[in-house]
Amino acid sequence: MLSIVEAVLGGAVRSSTAVLFAALGELIAERAGVVNLGTEGCMLTGALGAFAVTAATGNPYLGALAGGGCGALLAAVHAYVAVVRGANQLATGMAVTILGLGVTSFWGRSFVSTQIQGMEPINLPVLSSMPLLGPILFQHDPLTYLSMLLAPVIWLFLARTRWGLALRATGERQEVVYSVGYSPTMIRFAAVVAGGFLAGLGGAQLAVAYTLNWVENMTQGRGYVAVAMVIFASWNPLMAVAGSYLFGGALSLQLALQAQGVGVSPFLMSAVPYLVTLGVLIVVGRRRRQAMPDELRAVFEGSRG
Amino acid sequence: MSVFTVGLTLRVKRDFKPIAQRFGVAAVLPVALFALFLMLAGVAPIDTFAAMLQSSVGSSYGIGEVLVRAAPFALTALAAVIPARAGLLNVGAEGQLVCGGLGVAAMAFALGDVSPAGIPLLIVAGMAGGAAWAGIAGVLRTKLQLSETISTLLLNYIGYLLVAHVLQGPLKDPASFNWPYSAPLSDALRFATLLGSRVNVGMLLAPLAAGVLAVLLFRTYWGLNLRVTGGNPQAARRAGINVPRTYLTVMLIAGALAGLAGVLQVMGVEGRLRPTSGVGFGYAGFLAAWMVGHHPIWVLLSALLLAAIAVSGDALQITAGLPASSINILTALVLLGVLARGRAQSRG
Amino acid sequence: MMGKKRSGFLVSAALGLSLLMLACGPASPAGDGAASGTTTVGFLFVGPKDDYGYNQAAYLGSVEMEKAMGARVKVLRAENVPETEEAERVMEGMINQGAKVIFPTSYGHLDPALNVAKRHPTVTFIHQGGLKTAPNLGTYFGNIYETVYLGGVAAGKMTKTNKLGFIVSFPIPQVLMNINAFEQGAKSVNPNATTAVVFTANWCDPGKQAEAANNLIAQGVDVLTQHQDCSKTIVETAERRGIMSVGYHADASALAPKGWLTGAVWNWGPLYTQEVKAVLDGKWAGSPMSGKYRLGIKDGAVDLAKFGAAVPADVQALIKAKQKDIIDGKLTPIEGPVKDQSGNVKIAAGVKPSIDDLEKTDYLVEGVIGSVPR
Repeated sequence: MLSIVEAVLGGAVRSSTAVLFAALGELIAERAGVVNLGTEGCMLTGALGAFAVTAATGNPYLGALAGGGCGALLAAVHAYVAVVRGANQLATGMAVTILGLGVTSFWGRSFVSTQIQGMEPINLPVLSSMPLLGPILFQHDPLTYLSMLLAPVIWLFLARTRWGLALRATGERQEVVYSVGYSPTMIRFAAVVAGGFLAGLGGAQLAVAYTLNWVENMTQGRGYVAVAMVIFASWNPLMAVAGSYLFGGALSLQLALQAQGVGVSPFLMSAVPYLVTLGVLIVVGRRRRQAMPDELRAVFEGSRG
Repeated sequence: MSVFTVGLTLRVKRDFKPIAQRFGVAAVLPVALFALFLMLAGVAPIDTFAAMLQSSVGSSYGIGEVLVRAAPFALTALAAVIPARAGLLNVGAEGQLVCGGLGVAAMAFALGDVSPAGIPLLIVAGMAGGAAWAGIAGVLRTKLQLSETISTLLLNYIGYLLVAHVLQGPLKDPASFNWPYSAPLSDALRFATLLGSRVNVGMLLAPLAAGVLAVLLFRTYWGLNLRVTGGNPQAARRAGINVPRTYLTVMLIAGALAGLAGVLQVMGVEGRLRPTSGVGFGYAGFLAAWMVGHHPIWVLLSALLLAAIAVSGDALQITAGLPASSINILTALVLLGVLARGRAQSRG
Repeated sequence: MMGKKRSGFLVSAALGLSLLMLACGPASPAGDGAASGTTTVGFLFVGPKDDYGYNQAAYLGSVEMEKAMGARVKVLRAENVPETEEAERVMEGMINQGAKVIFPTSYGHLDPALNVAKRHPTVTFIHQGGLKTAPNLGTYFGNIYETVYLGGVAAGKMTKTNKLGFIVSFPIPQVLMNINAFEQGAKSVNPNATTAVVFTANWCDPGKQAEAANNLIAQGVDVLTQHQDCSKTIVETAERRGIMSVGYHADASALAPKGWLTGAVWNWGPLYTQEVKAVLDGKWAGSPMSGKYRLGIKDGAVDLAKFGAAVPADVQALIKAKQKDIIDGKLTPIEGPVKDQSGNVKIAAGVKPSIDDLEKTDYLVEGVIGSVPR
């Protein structure tokens, strides 16, 4: 029984990593006041970029870096159109996802049957032999560990550094940032591109650490899930970890229950994270929603009055 | 009616800008870039473009298919236009469409075998399904000040999963061998089609809806009320407009429109509800609406353009041996070209 | 209001499009140019042609048919055709290019194919795996459950934990038949063998596949098999985790040098050739091929992939013997008595169900853990 609990929770962590990376990336962009619905596309390009480079060089770490780069590149398109040109962020993001899907299916064709040597799980010394926690948290691929470390790092960056403050201020009221001599446009551009890099890493984890495969549209909506997870997390990176693991846990639990012969609707289980997000937003209400950066409110709620 | 028509024509004319200027950046560039992609893949671009045009707008079947795809796009676009005019962002046509389809399937299931008289009932059920789904977001917006953008985004997933669940369960066709489809509608309950194509009478609902909404929006007290709210809700409130009621109304209308797109898909094209029915149409509509600055008549054109590009993708597959989804590159380039053209001064 | 600019663009785009169209002229359907005596045959695949799976098998079949028929056919292919109404358009596009024979090769292409078939009575539709037919639409399939049964025998002999895992997509009859055949095969040599089933509700989502595989492995499963379209991820995951795998659709032994046991694979080439030849010779209509046409292991339509290094000679010999028994008609993979999971007799003792009956399978047999999603 214990091993099943470990399997479910360990599986949750493993299968959530891609979403977590993307959610953290989206969170950075949103804290600077930009929604990027192109996250799904960034993940796809990241997955293909990582897979292709891994296949070419035999080095999945180089691949992951390339994946991040591809994600960043696509995010730069979003940043240019939405931030520099000032187009509607939601519409631009959707178009960017469409672009990512098209580009990856175009170039990905030849990689479908390619075999790669991907990242292997590394059992962390000492930690991995802890009962329960070991198998759940410390027997994963390096990118998964990176995603775990990244959440507190981003939290610290946002809360404690000068650039973090500038970024948050840009998300709250860009005029203020401008008045102290920073360029809000540049900060937003950088935040979106950094977010795209992380989304690309998420795709890379899916392709070169988790499945070791590339197929067309392999992210299957995980990028949109990430956007929902940022809302769930009320723009707090540590909460994003919880949200992503909840998402992965629902998938993992549903598969485990099936294998145990318990009939559950996979679809209703998959709906749980969204229902929880909506429920949290409703119950906790306005206080929690105040966490939303003001400039983001302009995107989500229109610039009313 | 003729007065309205004249008024609308004037408005349309005023919106018209010199062709050369527009054509330059937003149409030629995407096509040129896409040609570059094709050449990278070792495919001759001119032949491919010819095949793409031939398969979409170059044959009567192709034109029919473009229209078949454009009609639901136009409706989901209108589902974004109306709320946008009132200052709301409805990203939820996707979920509202599938719930519209669900409404049709559920009503058909409840009615059983009925005469063509059931058609209006099914249409109403579809619109009600979409309106109910959008209504949730409307209520959350008016009662709890929860952003409709966020709630409709989340409701898209929930709607899709709900439909997938119901199709695997209670609404599953017993004769579908466990395939997650609803039972096929009887022919009497389908929209009549033009011989040898999928063009059907139901598609007329799209331009009809666009026309009616344009009149409502630009030529009625209600429309002014709505646009004033969209312009400045505080001012609207001071002017005695019941802003929450306006919000709720536009969301219900939007949902009904998206639901109608689901109706078209189920009663016109597919004849049954599948988990894949109309997936992606909601987002396409949202984009079509933005392409034309939320103009209720012009969305017909942007919907046609997006539909034509989508349909022409088949040629890539059959003639050039490229994955059909490569066409998404052209779609995206055109969209980004249009979106990048002007700064968004307003939502309307 | 920015509508002005954008709509201007749209008008111009639409104008430009129609100008271009005029310039190109109303191109005549390309296929008409083909030399008389050459018939255009269209193939639709639901996924990419090299997915180590269902589509690869069908693609290879189409290539073999093309070679065998030589100048008599011209082949059009479309990959990644979704199982939605879009498939209709792809078929119409092929017909527009002159296709007279169309192979929609995925189960979910059936509804669209039936619609198109109604509109084009002179085109012959040959659907893979369908359970419905029309005057100009026949279906064919291979009784692959026969070889899946043999894969089950291999798994039953080789398992140490007596726990087998089966990752599937949707609970359609062919999937349920395969699960049942696999468990029956395993039970026939190992009464303690159970098969845990996981439905992913997707034909090819590598992320879900990996998750399902890891989940099953954590529960003690030491042989994994599947009924998905793309098989690469699951075979590779099993190999990495150091367990055994039984393949499906295509020979993926190269992906799992250590853990590969064997696999159930398709051999579509001869069947496709037979079908196309019959159409061209005017012998298709009225033949068994115009109905529900089913071929089994003895016809060569389905086969066993080569054995992996892990399978000892005696097990190989046992499976070969059973294979021969099936071919000789001495062994029926699914034969009464068959009980479902709750112990109800589904097939009475001594009854050999017809393929028609089997293709109505909506239950899982005793020994399978998991339930049909309702």
